[in-house]
Amino acid sequence: MRIPLSWLREYVRVDATTQEIAEALSVSTAEVNGVHRAGVTGELGLFRVGHVLEATKHPDADRLQLTSVDVGEDRPYSIVCGAWNFGAGAKVAVALPGATLPNGLVLERRKLRGELSEGMILAEDELDLGTDHTGIIVLDDALEPGTPLAEVLPLVDEVLDLDPTGNRPDLFAVYGVAREVAALLGGELAPMPGEDPEREGDEPVGIGIEDPEGCLRFIGRVFRDVTMGESPLWLKGRLRNAGVRSISNVVDVTNYVMLALGSPLHAYDLDLLRGGLVARRANEGEKLRTLDGAERTLSVEDLVIADGKRAVGLAGIMGGEETEVSASTKNVLLEAANFEPVGILRSSEHHALRTEGSNRWEKGVDPYVAGQAATYATQLIVELSGARWTGAEDVRANLPKPAVIRLRPERASAVIGLEVPAQEQAEILGRVGFERLQSGFRVPTWRARDVTREVDLIEEVARFKLPEVPFTLPRRQAMFGRLTRPQRLRRLAEDALLGAGYAEVYTPSFVADGDLRLPEPLSAEAAALRTVLYASLLEPARRNADAGEENVALFEVARVYRASGGDLPVERWHLAGIADGGFAEAKWAVEQVYSALGIEPTYERTSEAFLHPGKAARTAEGWLGELHPTVLDGTWSAFELDLDALAEAAPQVAAFEPVSPYPEVRQDLAFVVDEEVSAAELLAAIREAAGELLRELEVFDEYRGEQIGEGKRSLAFRLAFGSPEGTLTDEDVAPVRASIVDALATRFGAVLRA
Amino acid sequence: MDKVATVDPTDLQQEALSAAAEARTLAALNEVRIHYLGRSSALKLALRNVRDRETGMTLNAVRETVEAALTAREEELARAELEERLVTERVDVTLPAQLLGPPKLRPRGTLHPSTLVRRDVEDIFLGLGYEIVDGREVETTRYNFDALGFPDWHPARSPRASLFLDDHTVLRTETSPAQIHKMEERRPPIYMVSIGRVYRRDTIDATHFPIFHQFEGLAIDEGITLADLKGTLLHVMRELYGPDREMRFRTHYFPFTEPSMEPDVSCFNCGGAGCPICKHSGWIEMGGSGVVDPYLYEFVGWGPEEYTGFAFGMGIERTAQLRYGIAGIRPFWENDLRFLRQFR
Repeated sequence: MRIPLSWLREYVRVDATTQEIAEALSVSTAEVNGVHRAGVTGELGLFRVGHVLEATKHPDADRLQLTSVDVGEDRPYSIVCGAWNFGAGAKVAVALPGATLPNGLVLERRKLRGELSEGMILAEDELDLGTDHTGIIVLDDALEPGTPLAEVLPLVDEVLDLDPTGNRPDLFAVYGVAREVAALLGGELAPMPGEDPEREGDEPVGIGIEDPEGCLRFIGRVFRDVTMGESPLWLKGRLRNAGVRSISNVVDVTNYVMLALGSPLHAYDLDLLRGGLVARRANEGEKLRTLDGAERTLSVEDLVIADGKRAVGLAGIMGGEETEVSASTKNVLLEAANFEPVGILRSSEHHALRTEGSNRWEKGVDPYVAGQAATYATQLIVELSGARWTGAEDVRANLPKPAVIRLRPERASAVIGLEVPAQEQAEILGRVGFERLQSGFRVPTWRARDVTREVDLIEEVARFKLPEVPFTLPRRQAMFGRLTRPQRLRRLAEDALLGAGYAEVYTPSFVADGDLRLPEPLSAEAAALRTVLYASLLEPARRNADAGEENVALFEVARVYRASGGDLPVERWHLAGIADGGFAEAKWAVEQVYSALGIEPTYERTSEAFLHPGKAARTAEGWLGELHPTVLDGTWSAFELDLDALAEAAPQVAAFEPVSPYPEVRQDLAFVVDEEVSAAELLAAIREAAGELLRELEVFDEYRGEQIGEGKRSLAFRLAFGSPEGTLTDEDVAPVRASIVDALATRFGAVLRA
Repeated sequence: MDKVATVDPTDLQQEALSAAAEARTLAALNEVRIHYLGRSSALKLALRNVRDRETGMTLNAVRETVEAALTAREEELARAELEERLVTERVDVTLPAQLLGPPKLRPRGTLHPSTLVRRDVEDIFLGLGYEIVDGREVETTRYNFDALGFPDWHPARSPRASLFLDDHTVLRTETSPAQIHKMEERRPPIYMVSIGRVYRRDTIDATHFPIFHQFEGLAIDEGITLADLKGTLLHVMRELYGPDREMRFRTHYFPFTEPSMEPDVSCFNCGGAGCPICKHSGWIEMGGSGVVDPYLYEFVGWGPEEYTGFAFGMGIERTAQLRYGIAGIRPFWENDLRFLRQFR
């Protein structure tokens, strides 16, 4: 909502600068996006009233006039001009050399077809006051030459760009903002503008409401002998500064009053209507060509304004093209109504048609303000078009009665955390239109939708006291302040991967295909929720490698989603990684994660279409492997683990045994086995055979070679034995060793290497 | 020349296709190719000596069919040979990585800037005695909208603004549903921050992405005030942006708080004098906040005045943008290592 300051100040007399007004509004009322200057930007003194002393044809150009103009200096200025709608004696608007026009053009003293021109005689479009370039602006003869033009024309204004929230429809009106400014800064608010002129007749209008849910109020007024034409410059200037295009005097009045009071209006060419107007539901399939030229097919969901024959407007959103006022209009029917917000919002969304009108109705306009809007528009139409006002009707459904709400001042102070005296609370509410009664505060009609409970009154008080509210901390009776176990373990897992050299990435939760599809996908690539993470890492891995990175190792921690059969999908935290290089890369990373979480994993060979058939393993919580070469160019390895499962598997408390004072006996054993026998199987068998004296066990070497034989390999293990009871001797350990050798020979045909 | 005359295109094609299918190795397949399509093959000779247009077309069709069959078979064999080779590359997956590789020595990795901010935010609130809640990402409309007081007409309820799985299921548009779940789970005191992914139907551009991360706080207790909200956020903002920061609060509107306010922090870059970061206002907008609307207490079955509380919500990416001076949203999702490696 653009609020021209000159307009605002017409409604509120306040001793505050624009900056102070903007500041107060932004803290207590609505966001201020900024204050900008509209119209002429440069030096205003270079725009003057000029008196044309002489005007003759340019000797070398048929379309140009040579003029001599008194601009209040000690000599007349010569100005070459392309317009012919004035002559010697006219008072005109002049911009002198050095002036900057609103379009950015800086005027210079220069020759036009050989004749000196010292400035410009201005047309409306050059001052951004209209699109008219047919002739220059001719001013009142009584003006003195040299008078600053800004005193005569709306050359410049400051404009406040306000962004009210949806709960404050009253702020989509200059008067509504003025009311806030008066309340915030102690200004004096003028009465609402508009006074009915005398009515010259009492002809019937024929207004009806068939859908009282959709239309609460419908005022119709008839005007005869309208002279259609352009709006005066003051009105054009106001509209321009508010961001609305000037169209014609009658249409401009409806827009002006909407901007002033917040209640949209519409004007129909009375002679094009067939009978009176009624607000009703559209018929299914009914057609209407709206003002933008689009033919719209309506449904019973749409509210229309209709004459005796057909729909003539999409209520509250846009009028119909057939009945719009035009240059040839002689008689006008003015509509000032009140429409229910949700229906307007739905219609406007359905037809993808948002207008200044729909934008207000969908927020809920005060039905009581429609009367004043009709009055103000009537006054202006009569003033600006010379029309006679000859008929009026005001049809109302049940207008809501203003609510009365009780406020406990001590409750307000308690919620705000600042002692605000009862008297002051009442004053604040009074300033924004809440009337104090015995039983509470009567809500002003323009706030009826937003203020319905005591807490809403408390908000009114709070917003006026915001800067004074102190900064305190809650007085705590209980403390939490600890990450949950899964959250702690998630950090541990992340940190383990940092140690392994992995960089964390964030990839979208969406993939092209899956069980959990979005009925309206974001795109072909983002059409379903992902069930695995690793696939999302392929693209960033490839892209980084393509960019010449020689060390690409990426991981992500995020949710995956699986259809559950119930109302909501199952969500699990997963951890996935990808790295350039072979199987060992994934294995190393996964080992680091398990080690960080204190879990002893079991690896088993597995197969997945996307993994190398000989280099893929699974654990209880996920998988790891080298990617199949057809998945991604080059050698890559990847892994994916279910973090929630890892958190469940992780030990709650570290298992601890006292450190034995007795030294351990260490032995290295190497066995030759078939290729098919895995290290894990051997380790498990050794552990089982060794019994409780075994303290440590690891595989530390793998060897293949001629002396071992084809299809076989040697695996070397490091063992440590110990006892809490005393120092072990070789004799103590010998039988254990024998049973290990025996077990491996029996179960795997393993041969101990000497 | 006699030989040429005896070529029957149909027989030739049949023969070539069978030979291709029977080839068991790429080498064998290559023999087949030379025999049927090579320079001195019957087909090539016949083509060279073609006199009439019709014969030429027939022979060319045969050539193309055989060509296609050979290519397809070649891919099949290559894939099979690859699989065979891969099987011979088999390793003992149970061996420790050090015996398998060894793995590359890589410089220490890095956390994503959003995670750095997330951990910081978590630690700040842990210090204030808050619990951190992840919450679910797929929610019912009941928890995502109804419970939070979104009116029927609220634009967020539209599929144009939010991502629905069906009429009743939506990807959470804020992390607040987790707060309702917590309120249903237990009575106050509740001091919690929910953090995680949220979803909006935004078209991707320099500043928008359909996924972003929020942290939203909720404090409900006896005697909580708007002043406590101001004090808590002042502490948090000073932790995040430096001890000299000031705050102001501006009236706003949100469905689930009343009063509602937008918190601003004095610009850490210019100290309030005005600069591009604060758009020359001296203040930086941080998100939304307010006093918990009593509607929420009624929703979970508590009395409207048993407790009071406050809530606030802010963006993780926005915090990271401000803290590190990252422009736009794209770098957060591009996963360019040249970007990511700088966050140590």
